[in-house]
Amino acid sequence: MLVGRPNAGKSSLFNRLTGGGARVGNFPGITVEVLEGAATFGDRKVRVLDLPGLYSLASTSEGETDEGVARRFIDGLGAARATTVLVQVMDATCPALGLRLTRDLLARGLALVVVATQRDVLEAQGRTLDVEALTAATGVPFLAVCSKDASARDAVLAAALAALDGPVAPTAPTFDPDALGRAALRDASSVSAEAMRARERTARLDRWLLHPHLGPAIFVALMASLFSAVFLVADPASALVEGVMRALAGAVGPRLGDGLLRSFVVDGLLGGAGTVLIFLPQIVVLTVAMELLDASGYLARGVFLVDRLLRGFGLGGRAFVPLLTGHACAVPAISATRIIRDPRERLTTILVIPLMTCSARIPTYAVLLSAFFASRGAWFRAGLFVALYFFGIAAGLVASAVLRRTATRGRSLPLVLEMPAYHTPEARVVMRTATRAASRFLRDVGTTILVASALLWALLSVPMPAALDRAGDTRAMPAAVARMHHSVAAGLGRALEPVTLVAGFDWRVNVGLMGSFGARELMVGTLGVITGLEDVDDDGEALAVRLREIKRPDGSEAYSTATGLGLMAFFVIACQCMSTVAAIKRETRSWGWALFTLGWTYAVGFALAVAVYQVARLVGA
Amino acid sequence: MRTTLKIDPVSLGALATGRSGVIASLELSSDERAWIEAMGLSPGREVTVLRRGVLGGPLHVRLDTGAEFAVDAELARRVVLAGEAQ
Repeated sequence: MLVGRPNAGKSSLFNRLTGGGARVGNFPGITVEVLEGAATFGDRKVRVLDLPGLYSLASTSEGETDEGVARRFIDGLGAARATTVLVQVMDATCPALGLRLTRDLLARGLALVVVATQRDVLEAQGRTLDVEALTAATGVPFLAVCSKDASARDAVLAAALAALDGPVAPTAPTFDPDALGRAALRDASSVSAEAMRARERTARLDRWLLHPHLGPAIFVALMASLFSAVFLVADPASALVEGVMRALAGAVGPRLGDGLLRSFVVDGLLGGAGTVLIFLPQIVVLTVAMELLDASGYLARGVFLVDRLLRGFGLGGRAFVPLLTGHACAVPAISATRIIRDPRERLTTILVIPLMTCSARIPTYAVLLSAFFASRGAWFRAGLFVALYFFGIAAGLVASAVLRRTATRGRSLPLVLEMPAYHTPEARVVMRTATRAASRFLRDVGTTILVASALLWALLSVPMPAALDRAGDTRAMPAAVARMHHSVAAGLGRALEPVTLVAGFDWRVNVGLMGSFGARELMVGTLGVITGLEDVDDDGEALAVRLREIKRPDGSEAYSTATGLGLMAFFVIACQCMSTVAAIKRETRSWGWALFTLGWTYAVGFALAVAVYQVARLVGA
Repeated sequence: MRTTLKIDPVSLGALATGRSGVIASLELSSDERAWIEAMGLSPGREVTVLRRGVLGGPLHVRLDTGAEFAVDAELARRVVLAGEAQ
């Protein structure tokens, strides 16, 4: 089992031992996973595990962060302790830092070997690491290797197996890491020539990238291009996925008749699978972008630039990327919060990400705006659109400031972040990370979405006896429309109407809101069906006409501008997205926080909708 | 006349940009101290302030080991230096 500080050379050694690959990077978080590979030495088979990087075993950090995962893994070995060797990987050019971790690891009482990598770099400087002195002082076998040499593999495996068979080193080490590190490496405080060159290059770049005025401008430009990449690359891919799913539904649908079975397969199952797959391109694009930022060393600079800005809202610089990502889609954004080391900041970020105006809200806003505000000018709609966008950001920041004083209050861990030298990311490693992120998403979030889609389908399509009576005469309606009028959702919608009318939502809007829990863009389709349309075109014109036609019993329009404004207010706040809820559940490992998000966003969203609707009616909108 | 050589303890947070000092102690909780020392910011190390984030943002510092860090400004005020190096 390989352990070590981030950037110590663990990944290269892992590649050397297993012949496979592992991702590299100082800011991993994006995939906190334990990599596994296999190796054989003589007649013995070895499983090689690569733990996430860690600085120490003593510090406090949450279980889901890199350090937490690595530490929990070591502490949770149980019966496997007898057959496990910890192989600590340390940078030979900087032994004092690695020796601190050695001391921590020894205290765990496991078989331990220390492998100092980058021997070649050291030798190029005419220096050597005195491994004998280190072994004598610590009682732990030390060896110095160069991971680029094929011979490193056998040397490390032999040493590890010997350590497993031999006695375990004393668990109460007495050495002083700094003194020993200096003694083992002559002139240890001087910096290697190669590292010096990398540092000089980094310093030159930092003069521009961290410039007080230019730096933030470059940062904004980079983030804007990351953001547009999501739309430019992921959107056509998502459209393709959607097209394929529709074609599939078209091919399968007619074979299943026109009853509930067809509706279940086409709307429930295929619809749900489509929702899952549509997220995939975004997840891949974002993971690649994050990985590039991380591996190049720029992500740490971004954190440096925006940390102060977000501190005021109880978040830190590391929250920036997840929050920005949330504007594309909350689901990958919630996974991206793993780069946040502070548990409270991380949880707060997860809880406010659903408020960011995600790309699924944009078409829905557009259609709803043209449906409800058809009588207003294009400028009014455009202005409202922009206002909605920024209202999401403002609401997110206010919510996080409030949460940090209530549900997630407590002190933040101070920011201490390594600023690595800039380097060029490896394409192979980046692609592998993206594949892993995609498969993890399908496995963890996808299954929850599928189950929720099936339940939602039942809600919207399965008839409810009581609803049959109240639906009135539906014989003249198309089958899909009639079905929804009889559904459990319609029954619920009518039952809730007395309450929701305070915000201007009648039972049809309630049904639409239930439908939009599958994905926000379903609001338009559901509202179309419940108001008697079989197919809603993308510009919402038919829906607009339809909405104007529906009258209250007293003859007034059922859907006024005030209704539209109230509905928009609700849309900004409410986390009506089962995929997001599934992602929150996964990342927080509790239904509690997922339901909490659902609860508070619905409550606040509804309260805001009531306020907006009532005020709008007062001023005569 | 007698001259006394007096070295004022100064915090990393108070160090001017571009200046260096040697870390004397970390006035932090034991957990935080363990973590920060493990990252390499430990007593005895010489530290240089490269730049500061705007509006009281983090400090960008370099250690004599060559490693660079972004350090929260408030935390930097609790890193005590054994005087300012010239």
